[in-house]
Amino acid sequence: MLTDARKKFLDLLWPILISVLMIAGWELIVRALGVRSIILPSPSRIVETLIERHDLLLANLWPSLYLTVIGFALSVGGGILVAVLITYSSFLRRGFYPIIIVSQVVPKISIAPLFIVWFGTGAVSCLLLAFLITFFPMTINSALGFQSIDEDIHLMARTFMASPWQVFWKIRMPNALPHIFGGMKISITLAIIGVIVSEFVASQQGIGYLIKLAGGMLDTPLMMASITILSIAGLLLYGLIALVEQRAVYWQKSSDISGSAGG
Amino acid sequence: MERIEAASLVLRVKSVRKLYGALEAIRNVSLDVATNEFVSILGPSGCGKSTLLMMVAGVVDKSAGEISINDAPVTGPRPDIGVVFQQPVLLPWRTVLDNVLFPIELLKASRAKYTERAMELLAMAKIHDFADHLPRQLSGGMRQRVSICRALIHDPGILLMDEPFSALDAITRDEMGVELSRIWQANRKTVLFVTHSIREAAFLSDRVIVMGRRPATIVEEVKIELPRPRDIALMESEPFNSYVRRLRKAIEASHAH
Ligand SMILES: Nc1ncnc2c1ncn2[C@@H]1O[C@H](COP(=O)(O)OP(=O)(O)OP(=O)(O)O)[C@@H](O)[C@H]1O
Ligand SMILES: [Mg+2]
Repeated sequence: MLTDARKKFLDLLWPILISVLMIAGWELIVRALGVRSIILPSPSRIVETLIERHDLLLANLWPSLYLTVIGFALSVGGGILVAVLITYSSFLRRGFYPIIIVSQVVPKISIAPLFIVWFGTGAVSCLLLAFLITFFPMTINSALGFQSIDEDIHLMARTFMASPWQVFWKIRMPNALPHIFGGMKISITLAIIGVIVSEFVASQQGIGYLIKLAGGMLDTPLMMASITILSIAGLLLYGLIALVEQRAVYWQKSSDISGSAGG
Repeated sequence: MERIEAASLVLRVKSVRKLYGALEAIRNVSLDVATNEFVSILGPSGCGKSTLLMMVAGVVDKSAGEISINDAPVTGPRPDIGVVFQQPVLLPWRTVLDNVLFPIELLKASRAKYTERAMELLAMAKIHDFADHLPRQLSGGMRQRVSICRALIHDPGILLMDEPFSALDAITRDEMGVELSRIWQANRKTVLFVTHSIREAAFLSDRVIVMGRRPATIVEEVKIELPRPRDIALMESEPFNSYVRRLRKAIEASHAH
């Protein structure tokens, strides 16, 4: 037990130590060489900006987060639903599964300008892009979870006269849970990417818009502060899902838990 | 071969045949099992033992013949049968107790009513201390004990066991045989037990049925008249070993065909 706790502590200690060293090195180099903040602001300068302009940053963070979470929720709901349909309909499985997989080759970010043509600039385009890039990993992961069940388990359930309904709720659903969480962890990061990229091209607000605007004004500290606050938000969202996962998928050792097939 | 009196007959398999497409897995197998009799089926790998067992369980269709339980034809899975598979087939997200209660949930019976029985079964299998553990925290032998408890939870009249100990090491395997013999002694059931192990069959059974190579037919039937309760010392005794020799000869003869 003690060694377990120690191992966990060390696992955390090293990355933190290295990060601190890297940030300190960055600060030192910027100061020693007198790099101008328009090229590379020092970490302390970024923190200053975060504090000074937190109103502006937060005002733009909320719309981005809002779209990220809604796009993510839609793709989780939609992905699980489609996965269930694929699992139970051999027509859908054979007809659409290959199409879904082949469509993964299309870089979905490249569709963003097309959405502006169709839906104009604004929330709808951002939301759609976030949904589009997160939907497939979510669907594919969940479908795998619903289907990757040992033949023996099906046989066992049949000898005890399980109904299809019972098989779904008592076997397929719990079996899919780790895969669903794997899909969610991939999707949340992709949802952020989707929203930010679409804000670059299709929005008058949000962190993506702010980064573009600050870039246009050569306000590098503001850009860096935007990226920082966005990363923190992303990390928190991911951590939240990982936390829920640990509770929900209690039967797997945490070292077994990992995001599976990506998108 | 002696006939079982009609009154105590529980399971009847008559002229059963099974085809998987063009492959004939079972050809004309007939056997009767009496109430509370322990019958083992011994036969080479791939001869159709699991197929026969699954047909009795009502989860695999037969191609011809009849299977009946208490004179009623078997048409599908039934609540008075419990099955133990070669692998424990436990659900990893359920605790030991919840795995044992799984059939109760599926049969929509009251969990509360059966929890006590589940604990008794676990105690009998000597794993009650692990009731709230997850399967991954158990050893292979312990998992198989859980799966035996699960098969017994709804108190089925018939227990079907398909090589339940073949995934275990030799020492655990002998131990489990003794355990099963003890559990059966305390909890009489009609048992159909499939195995590769001659010693296991001789140790556990009232009667051993030897099957030949595919397509399966019955080549020999041996009544094991050893006193019960049986313990591990019996395996060293001369009467036991003479049964083992007799069964081995029957198997060798069937291979010579
Ligand atoms: N679902 C199936 N479809 C086609 N063939 C099958 C199927 N199940 C079993 N068979 C074939 O039927 C034969 C008997 O299989 P079965 O599993 O009943 O053998 P077994 O006696 O239980 O073997 P083992 O001792 O190795 O478990 C084998 O040749 C197998 O290939
Ligand atoms: Mg078999």
